[in-house]
Amino acid sequence: MKPILLTLGLLLPVLAACGGDNQRMVQNDEYGDYRRGAVRQRPLGTSAGIVIFGVDKEREAREAAATGGGAGLSVNAYLWRATLDTLSFMPLASADPFGGTIITDWYAPPGAQGERFRAQAYVMGRQLRSDGVRVQVFRQTQDRTGQWVDSPVSAATNSEMEDKVLARARELRSQSASR
Amino acid sequence: MRKILLGTTAVVGAALLAPTMAAAQEAPTVRVGGYFRAYYGYTQQTGQNVTGLTPQGTVVQPAQVGDAGIGATGTSTAQSARNSQHDFSTDAEIHVFVNGKTANGLTYGAVVEIQFDNNEATARTARRSYPSKTGADIDEAYAFIASPTFGQIRFGDEDGPVGGLMNAGYVTNFGTGGIYGDWQDFVIRPNRTTTSPGEMGDNTKIIYLSPQFFGFDFGGSFALNEGEGADTGCVSSLAGPFCDRAYASQGVTSFGRATTNLPGRRNEYQLMARWRGNLAGVGLAASFGYMGASAVRDITVTGTQFQTLRNPQIWEAGLQATAYGFTLGANYKWGNTSYFYIPTIRGEQDMSQIFLGGSYTAGPFSIGANGFFQTVAGTAGSAFNTTTGVLSQNTNSTPRGQRRYGYGIGANYRLAPGLDLVAEYVRHVIHENGVDLDGQANNGVQDKLRANVFLVGTRLAF
Repeated sequence: MKPILLTLGLLLPVLAACGGDNQRMVQNDEYGDYRRGAVRQRPLGTSAGIVIFGVDKEREAREAAATGGGAGLSVNAYLWRATLDTLSFMPLASADPFGGTIITDWYAPPGAQGERFRAQAYVMGRQLRSDGVRVQVFRQTQDRTGQWVDSPVSAATNSEMEDKVLARARELRSQSASR
Repeated sequence: MRKILLGTTAVVGAALLAPTMAAAQEAPTVRVGGYFRAYYGYTQQTGQNVTGLTPQGTVVQPAQVGDAGIGATGTSTAQSARNSQHDFSTDAEIHVFVNGKTANGLTYGAVVEIQFDNNEATARTARRSYPSKTGADIDEAYAFIASPTFGQIRFGDEDGPVGGLMNAGYVTNFGTGGIYGDWQDFVIRPNRTTTSPGEMGDNTKIIYLSPQFFGFDFGGSFALNEGEGADTGCVSSLAGPFCDRAYASQGVTSFGRATTNLPGRRNEYQLMARWRGNLAGVGLAASFGYMGASAVRDITVTGTQFQTLRNPQIWEAGLQATAYGFTLGANYKWGNTSYFYIPTIRGEQDMSQIFLGGSYTAGPFSIGANGFFQTVAGTAGSAFNTTTGVLSQNTNSTPRGQRRYGYGIGANYRLAPGLDLVAEYVRHVIHENGVDLDGQANNGVQDKLRANVFLVGTRLAF
């Protein structure tokens, strides 16, 4: 029996580390299903009881959600802020954090007379994914009569804007993770 | 065994402490939780009335202590008593949880559970030399360190993987837990001790609990002795048979483990494997485990040691399924101990126990039933001569097996998170043909002890 025990004792932790994607940490409240009914139906594990010392992170999260704070966004917060940052050089016409749409007003770059731009951005879903943002840029040029007429935008512009948003989102993500 | 344990712990410890992943450090939080409950209980049981005898055989009843403070020492004069069916009962526990996280992703913490019902058989008020019935003591108390990659180590007074942590098949999620619920608080001994997983005890141990992979997780634990808490456990702090570290103890053959303070198991190890998963919308859990230990030896008055008890070996297999609010479970336990995991003498009958349970939950309402049937060695009548060291096995002319069985039906309604109304009925029977089980000599042979408890009340978990 003892050699078996020894082998098991040594192998189990090592085997446990080899589970890869099929491995997960067992939470403290997954033990002791058998218990007298006394403490059943209360929050278990790390959320049991009332915090008397330290920061109650779960309560913070609950309250933030209730007041429509960061946890109240229906789209990914990093992508949302990165899009706002990236398009901030243009005047903002509307921004809907629940629908995930950002629409700017017309903007004429100081160095390019007779040309103006407008952008629409859509942030999709709660995940931070490379296909989670779409940017559409519109361009108009002034003709000889002074009228603004639609003009084509170079094909790469939209994807370049999306790349800038994603880069900014990555930056924001890494900043908050190291905090 | 100790070398193995120390080696294993070192390896696991090194694995756990190795930096695994970058994660934000979290300052520890301290939480306070627990429960309060209050019930009315209606109890019908045999053996609750005594006439002109010393209750519980040789136990000396303490003399009455009046307000005058006259504390005469106990006498064993004959006494008579009658007990009614009605009682209120309250109980509470306070639990303290500490949780933290290190910079390299390890979570750590401690759990201390304080209970107030340890002194079951004592005077009803705390006065003078008598301990209070509601005195505080520690139930579980342990520290843990956990890694997502390598699992968790717990060290302290805690149930083992087989003794409550990872068992499947015990359906107790209704009422107060059915046959493993709070009915025992109303019943006068000896008709109450069950062999539930938790009765294996919280003896101080080291526990390893693996992460879950492919639905499987594993647990193992090791305890040197059966004692818990601080200090040596020796009565009057002097070396004697009750000390935690005793490996030979006079009288252990006759009494088995009459109280949890009388040592019975040493070098106890528990191994458990559990699988949890989902098949076609049905939640399944299965467990298989083993508890092994060496038994404390008996010793004569002149100091000669004899191995009279078998080294305890218990196996357990359980299965449960959950779907559409229904939970069904079964557990089979067998081994060479008696009820309550008391070690037995070689040649005695092995223990065998089947547990079945089912429950249904709909919104705030839960209802269920469970029960068990157990056969154990019973009163085999073996005797160990503490002078000569001779073991006389089965001196009963007709040694018989003892049957213990019971069932519970209960329901609860949740008024608010943590606040329940509960109602429950439980029946428990001990039966051994021709053997007087109630420990009272002059009221005839009581070979079938029955207890029926109906309780109703409220419970608040916080």
